[in-house]
Amino acid sequence: MNPVRVAIAVARKDLKSEWRTRELVPALAQFVVLALLIGNFGFQVDTHNASAIAPGILWLALVFAGLVAFGRTFAAEREQASLEAMLMTPASPVAIFAGKAIAATVLLVLCEVVLLPALTLFFGTPLSGDVVAAVLLATVGMAALGVLFAAIVARVRARELLLPLLTLPLWIPFIVAGGQAVQSAMGLPGSYQEAMGLLLDFDILFVVLTSLAARFVLDE
Amino acid sequence: MSRHERWAAGAVALMLVAGAAIFLYAPTDYLQGPVQRIFYLHVSSAIAAYGCFTVVLIGGLVYLRRESLVADRFARAGAVVGVVFTTVTLVMGMLWAKPIWGTYWTWDARLTSTLVLWMIYAGYLLVRRLADPGRQAARIAAVVGIFGFVDVPVVHFSVTWWRTQHPGPVVVNDALPPEMLATFLLTMACTLALAAVLIAIRYRIETLSDERMHMAEEVKVMTAPEPRMAP
Repeated sequence: MNPVRVAIAVARKDLKSEWRTRELVPALAQFVVLALLIGNFGFQVDTHNASAIAPGILWLALVFAGLVAFGRTFAAEREQASLEAMLMTPASPVAIFAGKAIAATVLLVLCEVVLLPALTLFFGTPLSGDVVAAVLLATVGMAALGVLFAAIVARVRARELLLPLLTLPLWIPFIVAGGQAVQSAMGLPGSYQEAMGLLLDFDILFVVLTSLAARFVLDE
Repeated sequence: MSRHERWAAGAVALMLVAGAAIFLYAPTDYLQGPVQRIFYLHVSSAIAAYGCFTVVLIGGLVYLRRESLVADRFARAGAVVGVVFTTVTLVMGMLWAKPIWGTYWTWDARLTSTLVLWMIYAGYLLVRRLADPGRQAARIAAVVGIFGFVDVPVVHFSVTWWRTQHPGPVVVNDALPPEMLATFLLTMACTLALAAVLIAIRYRIETLSDERMHMAEEVKVMTAPEPRMAP
């Protein structure tokens, strides 16, 4: 079986089922807008400090939306025990994992489509191509790690508790580099090029590592 | 006295020797005063913690390759002991930072990555507690341990843009007077011995708890009610 076709088929299945139920994306969109609202009240945002605070609120909202999204990645599989069925087919576990990761990335990107304009609307920060590129680049690595740990906790009791505890420390490199990139794209000091280069390095490192580990996590 | 009790007594004696060297033999720092004596145990426990997490990494890798129960028990033992030594490092560092830097905490590369290290392996211990024990838990934990080991240098590297307050390595730079260096090397050797003994004791505990679980399962099988036919 061609692993690329398997991955695309799995991703398409996940996206189709999301399209039919329309559960996750509307919930995530509402969640990120609520996060912005909380950021506004928590920080007492005005026109002077908005550009300094907005990048932080962006990453907080994105990280927690990501946790909610990845926590749901294996929900359908768990409820219908369909993961075992998928693993019984000759398809390689890595390809199945890649498919799940692609679908989860697309869903998180859809949530960013709401988050970034909303941030511009409420905080008056520029919505430039640089900001979008930094967020997208960080999303790739974060999704790879998030889906791996979602797969890990899927068979554990108290998975809602464990997912953030395991995922957040591993996301910190992306938040450090991505935060730096978004800050400099929004006019604060710092090198945008350097931060983007680092983000790319982290993406490559963690995508390779997660695909190596996926076999041990899914293969049962 | 069992073998493990003798080892434990030996480790305690060694730590007392190290304590004597720290407080009686090592000279008082000219600038920092007696607070500087925290240095010896602070750096030694950091090194011991790295050693423990290396045990977790190797145990995890060996487990994923060979499914060896011994490797998994070593990984479990290393994680518990490593978290203890990381806690010691963090707490002693904070106590040292307050009088010298004027604050318990600052977001510098070394402090941040050590805190992340603590968080990752505390998460590892939680996985071990929450996952049903056995093959599944061992595999999951091995993956967590390997990723944790990779993440820490990455975090350290990525936050070095921010100004660094924590001093660099003084031992390898030849910056210590000979008495201080001797005290440090002695403390480090004693702390590593303590870590090794703690891992050995923990390994024994993990072995016993594996055996107990195994026995409990056998009892469950033996005492399970006979399946009854429907009337």
